Amino acid sequence: MNNQSTMKNIVFLLLITAGLITTGCKKFLDVNKDPNNPTDVQESLLLAPIEQNISDNIQGGFGSVNIQNYVQNIAPNQPNPGIWNYQSFNADFDGDWYNFYVVCLNNLKILNDKAEGDGNTNYAAIAKILTAYTLGTATDYWNDIPYSKGFDKSNFLVPYDSQESIYDTVHALLTRAIANIDNNNGAVPGSDDYFYSGDMEKWRKAAWAFKARYAIHLTKAPGHTASAQADEALSYLQNAMQSNNDDLKFTYEGNTGSENIWNLTFSPVTTYVLNETLVDTLVNRNDPRLPVIVLPAEQTGLYHGRRTGTETQELTTYSYPADFYGGVTSSNYIITYNECLFIKAEATLIKSGYPAAEAVYEDAIQSNFSKLGIDPSSADASAYINSRKLTSANAIQHIMEEKAVANIFNLETFNDWRRTGYPILQPVDGALSAIPRRLLYPQSEILTNAQPQQSATLTDRVWWDAQ
Amino acid sequence: MLCSSKMFGVQKLLYLAVLLLITLPVFSQQNLQGKVVDSSGNPIPGATIHVKNSKASTITNKDGSFTINSSGNSVLIVSSIGFANQEVAAGNQSNIIITLSASSATLNEVVVTALGVKREKRNLTYSTQQLSGDEIVKTREPNLVNAVAGKVAGVQVTSSSGNAGASSRIVIRGNSSATGDNQALFVVDGIPVNNDETGTAGGNAVGSGVNRVIDIDPATIESINVLKGAAATALYGSSGARGVVLITTKNGSINKPPLFTVSSDLSFEKPLLPERQTTYALGNNGVFADGDIVKTSASWGPRMDTLKINGKPAPKYNPYDFFRTGVTSNSTISAAGGGASSSYYVSYSYYDQKSTMPGNDFKRHSFFGKYNTKMGDYVNTTFQLGYSNSTQDRLPEGASNGPLFVLYGQPVSWNPYPVLDANGDMRLYRYSRNAPLWTLDNMKNNDVVNRFLPVFTVNITPAKWLTITERLGADIYTDQNKYFENPQPAIGLNGKVVDNNTNFRQFNNDLIINASQTFGKFNVNLLLGNNIISTYYQNINLTGNGLTIDEFYNVSGSSSIASSESHSLQRKVGFYAQANIEYNRFLNLSLTGRYDGSSVLSKENNFYPYGSAAASFIFSELLKGDIKKTLSFGKIRFSAATVGNDGVGPYALNTPFIQAGRNTNAGYFLYPYQGQPGFLLSSTLGNPNLKNERLDEYEAGLEFRLFQDRISFEGSYFYRKSHDGIIPGVSISNATGFSGTTVNTASIENKGIELLLGANPVRSKDFRWDLTFNFTKINNKVLELYPGITQLGRIIVGQPYNVFFGPKYARTDDGQLLIDANGLPVVGDQGIVGNATPDWLAGLENTLTYKQFSLSFFFDMKMHGDVENGVDSYGFFYGSSKATENREPIVVKGISEADNKPNTVAVDAQTYWQSRQYESIIQDGTYIKLRNVTLAYNFKPTTLARTPFKAASIVLSGRNLWIYSPHFTGADPEVSSYGSGNAAQGVYAFSTPTSRSFSLSLKFSF
Repeated sequence: MNNQSTMKNIVFLLLITAGLITTGCKKFLDVNKDPNNPTDVQESLLLAPIEQNISDNIQGGFGSVNIQNYVQNIAPNQPNPGIWNYQSFNADFDGDWYNFYVVCLNNLKILNDKAEGDGNTNYAAIAKILTAYTLGTATDYWNDIPYSKGFDKSNFLVPYDSQESIYDTVHALLTRAIANIDNNNGAVPGSDDYFYSGDMEKWRKAAWAFKARYAIHLTKAPGHTASAQADEALSYLQNAMQSNNDDLKFTYEGNTGSENIWNLTFSPVTTYVLNETLVDTLVNRNDPRLPVIVLPAEQTGLYHGRRTGTETQELTTYSYPADFYGGVTSSNYIITYNECLFIKAEATLIKSGYPAAEAVYEDAIQSNFSKLGIDPSSADASAYINSRKLTSANAIQHIMEEKAVANIFNLETFNDWRRTGYPILQPVDGALSAIPRRLLYPQSEILTNAQPQQSATLTDRVWWDAQ
Repeated sequence: MLCSSKMFGVQKLLYLAVLLLITLPVFSQQNLQGKVVDSSGNPIPGATIHVKNSKASTITNKDGSFTINSSGNSVLIVSSIGFANQEVAAGNQSNIIITLSASSATLNEVVVTALGVKREKRNLTYSTQQLSGDEIVKTREPNLVNAVAGKVAGVQVTSSSGNAGASSRIVIRGNSSATGDNQALFVVDGIPVNNDETGTAGGNAVGSGVNRVIDIDPATIESINVLKGAAATALYGSSGARGVVLITTKNGSINKPPLFTVSSDLSFEKPLLPERQTTYALGNNGVFADGDIVKTSASWGPRMDTLKINGKPAPKYNPYDFFRTGVTSNSTISAAGGGASSSYYVSYSYYDQKSTMPGNDFKRHSFFGKYNTKMGDYVNTTFQLGYSNSTQDRLPEGASNGPLFVLYGQPVSWNPYPVLDANGDMRLYRYSRNAPLWTLDNMKNNDVVNRFLPVFTVNITPAKWLTITERLGADIYTDQNKYFENPQPAIGLNGKVVDNNTNFRQFNNDLIINASQTFGKFNVNLLLGNNIISTYYQNINLTGNGLTIDEFYNVSGSSSIASSESHSLQRKVGFYAQANIEYNRFLNLSLTGRYDGSSVLSKENNFYPYGSAAASFIFSELLKGDIKKTLSFGKIRFSAATVGNDGVGPYALNTPFIQAGRNTNAGYFLYPYQGQPGFLLSSTLGNPNLKNERLDEYEAGLEFRLFQDRISFEGSYFYRKSHDGIIPGVSISNATGFSGTTVNTASIENKGIELLLGANPVRSKDFRWDLTFNFTKINNKVLELYPGITQLGRIIVGQPYNVFFGPKYARTDDGQLLIDANGLPVVGDQGIVGNATPDWLAGLENTLTYKQFSLSFFFDMKMHGDVENGVDSYGFFYGSSKATENREPIVVKGISEADNKPNTVAVDAQTYWQSRQYESIIQDGTYIKLRNVTLAYNFKPTTLARTPFKAASIVLSGRNLWIYSPHFTGADPEVSSYGSGNAAQGVYAFSTPTSRSFSLSLKFSF
């Protein structure tokens, strides 16, 4: 064979092949379209998982478990140290921050933008209400937080907003949500709305209730007066929840994978049981709600809470939450009619004194009795209320103590304690510091978005928690 | 018969040649005809013949014949790969037979290089190291990766656990990718094969899975070549940047009667277990807890020798009785041979390992067949098919609900029997965990892989200087992984069954044109090629939560079922070229270039070029006289290379919505949830502008051999730096709405030296001593991650790859511990407390051969390289670690915070050990291991002459016979409990213990 002609033929063939290949190549390589995950989804598909995360990870979740330790509703059957005697690390809160910002707030923003774009104002309203709640909870945990400069795909360094401006944002979001409901355009959620199944009137009441909650938070905030905040709260409450049926709560079906988040919190793996402070309070006051809230210990039949920091005992010697809060099918309460009445009682106390507040206060306790299945006109109930009457000396303490019982497992007890000092709490045995007044900024944020606020410690105060 | 007739032919030809020599007249310039044959008289095609001191040269035809223009007194230099060069005086012959003898292994070793091209090792311009199939089989490791451990300079192998079938990690020349794949590419006969870790049931079966190279039967391997530097691997493109392990399988031979080989191994294994305290019982502060009525996880109870239960001395129970003696058998049968134009090799083997861990076994059936045939004069085809069926059963490992977490801390006062109490509930001395014995009957992870590796190769040789190779191969496997756990109310679990199936298909096509020509003293080889590789991956997961029927493990029996499917397709196209130019057998220049297109990068950036340039200089060719006698071979080489890599999986450009799931302490439950489907935006922000990452490498090497090859040395220095490194999911502030994004900004530097020293101190008729020593030192440094980001978990800018980061003890300026008022060390800020990268690695193999006996032993060494001892982390707290056996109050050495004087405050042992911080469980992983000892007896051929056997041998061997690890408190510091992934490295936490084993092997051929 002639070497040269072979070479020529090969070069020719190669050129043709190369030509064919390069034109075909671009197309051959064009296979990078993700077949597994959609690039766009409708509002209903976002709403369901957002609501589930709000219940599990904003009202529930690790931050919430910290708070329940601080207010001594729960205690782990574990020796010190731990979060229960106030040992926390920044990294402990990475998960909460992720749930707040990546899971909830970012998806709420997408839901809101999408719903506004599609003219689905009801979805836009729910997105704003839940954004307000998530932001309100975040700022009550962490004081200054990122929001107005956040959620920008081209800017990864996000300065923090002051808590004061976050509170303004919360109110603005709620106001716009109510306007969205008034518009009542487009699709109405159905079973994708675990909270209210698309009952927008209930959402409207919840929006006003949140306004009242976030107004009363500022009773001692710099630049705010208790009186003005009470006025604001009272005006919001006129449109807020009117009965226990209006509660914003997440109801769990209870089968595998959909157990109530508080039921899971008391799983034997966590070793959490009820705190002695909570159990003894209910026992000592002879509270008729005790058996509805607390289970007697399996082994002894006694109402026995665990004292944080003491020697561990068998789990079966401790009390667990009874089915109303702790069952697999129980509901997780975000904001309730009872809370509205207690806000009203406090606001009335501030504006008009304890005699005027008495009726509202008793109404609040009675409505909680009703919710827990106790006849408020029964002898036990009446006796209890009579033992808990307001006086000028004890009015704010009693209101807050009763609110704490009605708001069990809710962040509000911690907020109320920070505002009013009630219910009275003593540091746990072996406490490493005074009782915390906030959570730490997460390690992930310190590493990726250094901000001056991040040196805060557990005993630092948030803006509204002025001394 | 065949042979003798050949011999006769040669004799006849020689006779003819002599006749011609006598009768033909003398020519001054003549056409010399001749033939080049091997020692058996077989023709050698493609041998180079050139006339000394002239430009004339030629190559032999396929029948070994040649014609060359030469003068009467010219000298022919004949060379061919695999044979010793020969100089022949042409004299007055016109037809000459030149017989080449096979080159001695060391001098003209032929090695397989990129794309399966065979080259003489002396001409290589980069570093490579070859291991023979025998060396691989000798290690008795079912996993090829482990078989390479410690033997190759520049290579670090880390096994993950002692489980039968457990994964191992292989990294060549250091980690260069922040979070991407750092492991070497495996190539079998030119086809890249997948080495993913499978069998963790979508994350449900915690611990180490199986790395899929285990599907390749070591007995079918002829040789392994490890290509280390970018210059060696540039032709493999992107995936070769991390180094390549080239596997060449065995062949049959033309004109050989069938040779059957049967081998059988049997080995017994004992677990290597951490020492633990056995003096103290369950309890706290010296107070006994019986575990049935009073439960605790701590062994801070009373002394066992003073403890009385019901008035009688308390009996001791050894928690390690849980383990068993492992038994492994491996049987192989193979046949090889060939006719006039075709050859075959077929093999079947069955490997069966019952490890020391109950519930853990690994079984592998492997078939391999290779058939080679010549079709006419120009075409040679090879078809081969590997099929394997591998099954692994195991329990979850690590700090999971599997058995080992509890077992390593189980107190000696606890009787684990009966497993169930009178009510049929599980018995355990503590809360929140499963009883180890209970898990054996109530949890299982079963992983079955069926894998096919077909390769079809056609070599067309239209002219003697030209070869066209078309090679089509595939790697196809299905992985059926099933996991179940029974309900366990004591720890709040409802039971679960998971079916996790993976379909993997990878097709690889290479079209290679290889041309060789000699121009005077220049020998030029040109190679052009095209590669197409397409990888498809599908995962289907069915998870049933809440088991409702006893001992029934189908998702139909679960109270909620979630399912998911995902698949991906990734394609790459590459065009490559290589030129090797050799001048006068002492200068070599090698240039490679490749142009790759990858489907996973942005369309604007998806094609990228790269290449390498390398040169070598065999200076010994220029030496003369006595020096040449001492220094038989010497070479220096230099190379520079840059390799592009796509370094990211498919679909990283977009930010899609992802099927939502509910994540709780009872598990992860995919949507639909309570009847509603749900999606949330991906937490990772896609990067639409992704481009390729790049690895630059410079290498210099020196090779020489002394005293008739009694001493050989190879050394390399390399510097490699990755830049534009892709980090899929670098952390960003969650305030952006995302937890991470994919960026193109990482840079990691590795520089190191690799030494390989061979010596043959004794070489007599009956006795021979060979030793090989290899040494690797790699300095590794993370240069850059992402602007503003200096840490990604264990990867920190300015530090070596994979440091340990966590709470540190506060220290005085001169490094002493600060002690608080209670006598405890003060905990300071978080910081770097250890470094998983070893200072150096070394291996030493000795082989002593006396007549028919052969004894070899292999030591393996690692200097530093910290290990996080997770077993001690809990063992300190629970009082089960050996270190906690001394229970006297402790005065911690250090400086008191209060008065700056040496501490005098004593702290009780339980308080001290229960307050130990992360820093205290980082241990120096230095070790020396006697990894292998092998004693073999090979029967003499004369002994076998009267038997039907052609060869027979008996081998006794031991593995892990001795481990010296002065600082590590576990038994074997060479573990990474959570598998072969990047982040798992150096973490020891409740994995199945590795073992010491003894085996007997028989092998015979007939």
